[in-house]
Amino acid sequence: MAEWRQYYQNEDDEVEEDEEDSGGDYKISGRDSLVFLVDASKEMFIKSEDGETSNFDMTMQCVRSVYTSKIISSDKDLVALVFYGTEQSKNPRNSFKHVYVYHDLDSPGSQRVLDIDKLLGEKGAQFAEKTIGSGETSLGEALWCCSNLYSDIKLRLSHKRLMIFTCRDDPHGGDGAKDRQARTKAADLKETGVVIDLMHLTKPGGFDVSLFFCDIVSPPEDESELGLQIEPCRKLEDLQKRVRAKELKKRSQSRLTFSLGEGVNLAVGVYVLARTATKPSAVKLHRDTNEPVRTKTRYFHAHNGGILLPNDMKRAQVYGKKQIVMEKDEVDEIKKFDDPGLVLMGFKPMDRLKLHHHIRPALFIYPEEEQISGSSCVFTALLLKCSEKNVFALCRYIPRRNTPPRFVALVPQREELDQSQTQATPPGFNVIFLPFADDIRTLDAHVGPTASDEQVDKMKEIVDKMKEIVHKLRFKYKSDAFENPVLQQHYRNLEALALNMLEPEPIEDLTMPKVQMMDARLGPLAQEFKDLVYPPDYNPEGKPAAKPESGGGAAEKKPKAEISEEELKNHVANGTLGKLTVPVLKDACKQFGIRTTGTKKQELIDALPIFGRE
Amino acid sequence: MARAAKSALVLCMDVGFSMSNSEPGQEPPFEQAKKVIQKFVQRQVFAENKDEVGLVLFGTDGTKNRLAKDGQYENITVHRHLMMPDFELLEEIESELQPGGQQADWLDALVVCMDLLQQETMGKKFERLNIVLLTDLNVQTSADQLDVIINSLKKAGITLQFFLPFPLDGEDRADGGGDGPGPSAASARPGKGLSSQQTQGLEMVKNIMTSLEEEDGLEEVHTFRDALEKLSIFKRIDRRPMAWPCQLTIGSSLTIRIVGYKAVTEEKVKKSWTIVDAQSHQRDDVKRETVYCLNDDDETEVQKDDTIQGFRYGSDIVPFSKVDEDQMKYKSDGKCFSVLGFTKQELIRRHQFMGSQVVKVFAARDDEHAAVALSALIRALDSLKMAAIVRYAYDRRSNPQVGAAFPCIKEKYECLLYVQLPFMEDLRQFTFPMLENNKKFTPSESQLSAADALIDSMMLVEKDEDGESVDVFKVNHIPNPQFQRLFQCLHHRGVNPDDPLPPVEPWLKRALERPQAVSARCQAPLQDVKTKFPLKVVVKKKEQKTSADVFGSSADEPDAKRVKVDEEMEFNLAEIAAGNITSVGSVNPVRDFCALVRQKTVSFDQACQQLTHRIEQLLGNRSPEYYMKSIACIQAFRDQSVSSGNAELFNSYMQSLKRSVPDRNLQEFWDLLIQDALTLISKDEVDGSTISKQDANQFLAFEQKEEVQAAPVQEDTGDVDDLVSVSYLFGCFNDKLTIYYICECNYDHK
Repeated sequence: MAEWRQYYQNEDDEVEEDEEDSGGDYKISGRDSLVFLVDASKEMFIKSEDGETSNFDMTMQCVRSVYTSKIISSDKDLVALVFYGTEQSKNPRNSFKHVYVYHDLDSPGSQRVLDIDKLLGEKGAQFAEKTIGSGETSLGEALWCCSNLYSDIKLRLSHKRLMIFTCRDDPHGGDGAKDRQARTKAADLKETGVVIDLMHLTKPGGFDVSLFFCDIVSPPEDESELGLQIEPCRKLEDLQKRVRAKELKKRSQSRLTFSLGEGVNLAVGVYVLARTATKPSAVKLHRDTNEPVRTKTRYFHAHNGGILLPNDMKRAQVYGKKQIVMEKDEVDEIKKFDDPGLVLMGFKPMDRLKLHHHIRPALFIYPEEEQISGSSCVFTALLLKCSEKNVFALCRYIPRRNTPPRFVALVPQREELDQSQTQATPPGFNVIFLPFADDIRTLDAHVGPTASDEQVDKMKEIVDKMKEIVHKLRFKYKSDAFENPVLQQHYRNLEALALNMLEPEPIEDLTMPKVQMMDARLGPLAQEFKDLVYPPDYNPEGKPAAKPESGGGAAEKKPKAEISEEELKNHVANGTLGKLTVPVLKDACKQFGIRTTGTKKQELIDALPIFGRE
Repeated sequence: MARAAKSALVLCMDVGFSMSNSEPGQEPPFEQAKKVIQKFVQRQVFAENKDEVGLVLFGTDGTKNRLAKDGQYENITVHRHLMMPDFELLEEIESELQPGGQQADWLDALVVCMDLLQQETMGKKFERLNIVLLTDLNVQTSADQLDVIINSLKKAGITLQFFLPFPLDGEDRADGGGDGPGPSAASARPGKGLSSQQTQGLEMVKNIMTSLEEEDGLEEVHTFRDALEKLSIFKRIDRRPMAWPCQLTIGSSLTIRIVGYKAVTEEKVKKSWTIVDAQSHQRDDVKRETVYCLNDDDETEVQKDDTIQGFRYGSDIVPFSKVDEDQMKYKSDGKCFSVLGFTKQELIRRHQFMGSQVVKVFAARDDEHAAVALSALIRALDSLKMAAIVRYAYDRRSNPQVGAAFPCIKEKYECLLYVQLPFMEDLRQFTFPMLENNKKFTPSESQLSAADALIDSMMLVEKDEDGESVDVFKVNHIPNPQFQRLFQCLHHRGVNPDDPLPPVEPWLKRALERPQAVSARCQAPLQDVKTKFPLKVVVKKKEQKTSADVFGSSADEPDAKRVKVDEEMEFNLAEIAAGNITSVGSVNPVRDFCALVRQKTVSFDQACQQLTHRIEQLLGNRSPEYYMKSIACIQAFRDQSVSSGNAELFNSYMQSLKRSVPDRNLQEFWDLLIQDALTLISKDEVDGSTISKQDANQFLAFEQKEEVQAAPVQEDTGDVDDLVSVSYLFGCFNDKLTIYYICECNYDHK
C-alpha cells in the first residue's frame, strides 16, 4: 500500500517546487494593487425591478468575494475601497469633499471582511446611509484622492488597477468643468501606470459609455482586446467574472529560449495555467503570544559539537554495500545536461500523443517579444501551421539550471472566444510532459473473457443497455465546475475562526455523486442491467475472499462472557456482583431473559437480583 | 505484499589463453568479455534487486571447484559463490580477473556451473536459474556428454545464454528483445576465419540452444560488442504496481468490482543523498538540529512544545491547533470510484489533466460477471465517444479527486484509464493578447510556407518499406537520463574515489539529440526560416535598479535609504549626551553605530565589530527586507571608516563577505551593493588603504560571473542546504560570532 500513498507525498514536493519558481518573479516585481472606486449616490441604492439586490449591494458582495479570494490566493496584494458621491468625507488629509476612503490601500485581513459585511443587505444600506451618505459627485476629486493613495504607498507596486463601479453614465449631470477635471485626473493616473476599468451596472434606459466614461477608462492593452464591455452587468456572477478576469495579473513562471536549431532562437514565456492548489503550510506560533516563530536548522559535529559549515559536509549513498561520497557541487553537476531552454527535436502527428502518457500538469507558452523581437511572428507561423497540419512539436525542455531534461509535446491551441466575446482559450502551445521508459510500469493486464458467438449477441444487448444508462446520465463537463472540498472546508474553518463566527459556513461537496438524482434518472435501467449481467446470487459489493461468517466472531466471544446460573446465584447471594465486568453482566441479563434499559454497571446489578430471588 | 521474484545467475567466463589473442588493433576477447561482466554486475548493483550472482572462471592456472577429482574438471575456478552482487565483486573483477595460461573445456565449465546452481539454490525460491557463458569456443570439447547435459539442464529448468566474440551466422543477428533501445551493433568479426574447434563449438552451441528452447533459443546467443552496447544502459527503474481493489458505482444500486493499477507515473530515484562528515565520511558524525526562535533582537529560542500552529488568513495569522484542524477538516468516507455522470470526451481537455499519474482500471480478477459489466461500460463509452467523470478517493485518509475515466480498448485487453482533472481552485484564467489577426505579428504567405517546409522536413514519423509509419523518436523508450547519469557517476566514484566525475556517456548524449537524419534534412528549411524571419535579441538598457527599487517592495521599513541619508541630521545632542546608546542594536543599527563612533565610548574596532555582527544577523534571514537594512549598515560602515581614516576593517570585512556570497546565496544582495557602488575603500580615499582605485573598481567585476548563478535556484526543494547557509554565516567573519553560536551547542571553544 505504501506505494499508493507515495503519490500524495510526491505531489506535495512538486507543488513546493513550483512555488519557488513562480515566486522569484513575483518578489522582484513588487506587489499588485487594486482600488475599488464605488459610486455611493442614491441611484446605486435603488433596488432593481425584480426587487432583489441594489447595485450597491451587488458591488459590495463582489468586493467581499475579491477580498476573501485575495486572502486565499495572494495575501500580499493591496486593496482599497473608496466611495465617491458621498455626504460624508473621509480621506487622509481630508482635502477632498464627498470622497470617503473606507479602506486604505493595504493587504486584506479578516477585519476588512467584517467591515464589508456591515455594508451588505438591507441593514448595510442603512449603515451606509448613516456613515457615508449620498451627496454631491465629483469624480475628479475622487480620482485625485485615489492617486494620493497610490503615491502614499512606500512599497514598490508592480500592477496598479482602479475599478470604477457605477450605474450613472453622466455623473456630473452636464457640469462641464467637473467633467474636464475628471478627465485630467484620469489622464494623470494613467500616466503613472494605473489602469482604469469601468464596471458599469444596470441603469434604467441603458448605460451610455460614450457619454463620459470612454474618456476616463484606459484604452485596451493591445489592439486585439475588445475594450469596453458594452453590456452592463446585471447579475452578480457576471460582475464577479468580469472583475476576476481583470484582477489577476498573469505572470510567467520563466522566460526561456526556444531553439529551432541552427541559431534560430525565439523567446517564450512559460505560464502555469493549472496547478494543484493545496492548503498553505501552517505557520508556527509561540503559544503564549501567538507570535510567529522562525526555525533555524544547523548541523554540528556529533562528537565535538562544532558547527559544521557546508564545506565540512559531503553527500553519500550506499550501493552494493559501498558508500559512495560526493561533494554537494558534484551532486548538482550530475543533474546538469545543458542550459535551460526548449530545443526542438521535430514534429509528430497528433495521434502519436497518447492519452495515457501523462505525468504532470501541463504548462503553457506564449512568445516574449520583449526579449527577442520577431518571436511572435515565428511563433504564430508555427502555431498556425502545426494546427493546420494537425501535428505537435516535440521538444527537449530544461526549466532551470542543474535540472535534467524532459521531453515535452508542444500542442498548438488557437484562440477561442465564448459567446460574450471573452477569451475562452488563449492562443499558444500547451506543454505536455512525456514519460520516459522508467515512468511506464509493466502491468500484466487482466485478459477479459473471450465471448463465444451466442455470447456476442448477449454482449451486444448488455452494451446497448449500458449505452442507455450512459445516455441518461449525460452532462456537460466544465473544468471549473468542481470546487475542492478539502480546501473549501479549510478556508471556511479559518474564516470562522478569524471572523469569530460560531461555526463555519457549511460547504457543498460537489465531488459527491448526486445519488438520488441519478437513481431517479435511471429508473428501472440499473435493475435491468443487473438482471442481464449478474446472476441472482451475485453480490458485487461482497468481498472476493469470503470472510468467516459474521456470526462466527460473536459466537467465539460468547463463552468468555458467559456465566453459569450457579455462579450468578452465588454472586447475587454474596453481593459480589460488582466484581463482574459490564459485558459479563449484560450477557447474564440477556442469557436469563432479563430486560434492562440501563447500560451502567449499577443498573445492571440492580436488575439481576430480581432473577436471584425467583 | 508479494515478494518480487528473484533469479539466480552464474557468469561463466573463459579466461584461457586463446581469449587473449586478437588481431592487431582489435581488443582481445578477454577484455571484451571482462567489460561485459563488469557492466552486467554494475547494473545489478544499482538495480538493487534480490538477484544472486556467482562467477566461475575456466582456463585458470589453478583449480577450485567441488567436482574436481582425478584430473577431471581441472583449471576451473569458482571465483564467487551465489550471492547478491556488490562493489566488492566489481573491485575483484577489476583487479583480480586476469587472463589464464591454460585452456579448459567449456562443457566441463557448464557442468560446474550447473552443480553450483543446484547446490546453492537448494531450499531457496528462485523464479529463474540462468547460466551465462562467455567464451571464444576455441578449445577441444568432448561432445559425448552433450545429451546428458542438455537433459539435466532441461530437468533443472536452467536457461543458457552465450556471449561470443563473433556472431553466430556471420551475419548480424537481430537483438533478442533487450531492455534498451541500443541499435544493434555491427558484428565484431566476420564469421570466417574461425578455427576448426570454433566451428565445431558453434555447432554444439546451436545444438544445445535449439534443443533447450527450440527456435527462440538462438536469440540468446549474443556478441560481446552487442552486449556491451545494451549493458551500458542501466536498468530502468522497475516497480511492481500495487493492486487497488475498489467498486465502481453508478447511482446507488449499480456496482462493479474493479482493480486499479498505477500505470504511468513519474518515477523517482529510490535513494536520496545522506549528509556525511567530510573527513570521516560518517553519517552519524553529523547531527542536525532545528530550533524555533522569536523574531526579536536576541532570537530568543522557544521550545517546540511551546509552539502551536496557525494559518495565514490574509494579513492575519489564525491560530488553529492540530487537534482542532483534524476535528474540523474535511472528512472523506473511504475509498471510492463513483461515477458522477458521463460526458463527451472532447469536453475534457488534454492540457487540463492534473495529478502525476494514470491509473488503469480492470474488472476484479477471476470475476467474470464484473468483467462483463465493466466491458459493457468500456464499449458503451467507446462507441459514444464519452468518458465517465468520477469521484476518486484512494482511501479514508486521502483527499478526494474528480477525474475522468476514458475507455481503452486494446487487442489483448480493455480497461478504463483514470486521470485526475482540475478543481476550480487549480485553474488560472489568464487572458493573452491575440496572435492571429494581429497586424504586428501576422506572418506573410512566404513566412508561412517556410514554417510549413520546416515542419515537413522535421517529421519524426517515417514510412518504412511496408508503408507503415514508424516513430523514429519514441520518448517512452528512452531511459530517464537523470538516472543513467547518476548511476554512471556513482559507479565511477565508487570504483575511483579520487577521480573527478566522468563526462556524460556519448550514447546518452546522442539519445537526447535530434536524430541525425532529421538534422540533415532540416538544414535548408531552417536556413530559409532564418532568412525569412527577422529575429533580434532585444538589448535592454541595463536598468539601474537601486536596492530601494528592487526591495523597497516588501521592506518593513519604508525607505531605509532615506533614513541613512538623513542620518547625520537626525542625531540630537540630547540623545547622545544621555549616553543611552551603548551598543549596536538591531532596531536602528546605523544610528547606534554612528553614535558609538562619535561618542568614542567604545573603540572604533569594537563598534565595527558590533555593526558587522548585526549585518551578519540581518543577512542570515536572507530576506529582502533585511537586505535594505544591511546595505544601510554597510554604507554607514564605509562612511565612518573613510572619515576616521581606517580602511582596513571595512576592506577586510567586504572581502570576506564577498567570498561567502556563493555559499550563502547572497547574490541578490551583492547585486544591490554593486548598484549602490559600495566597493572597497581605495588609497585615493584613505591613505592607509592598500587597495588601488582600480582594484576597488574591479572589486565589482565579480558581478558578471555571479549574475549567472543568481538565476532562479533551488530545484531540489526542502534541500537541507537552504538551511545550512543560515548557520554558515556564524563562522564567516569573526571568531566571536562563532563562539556565540557554538555556545548554544554546549561546545566550549576554549
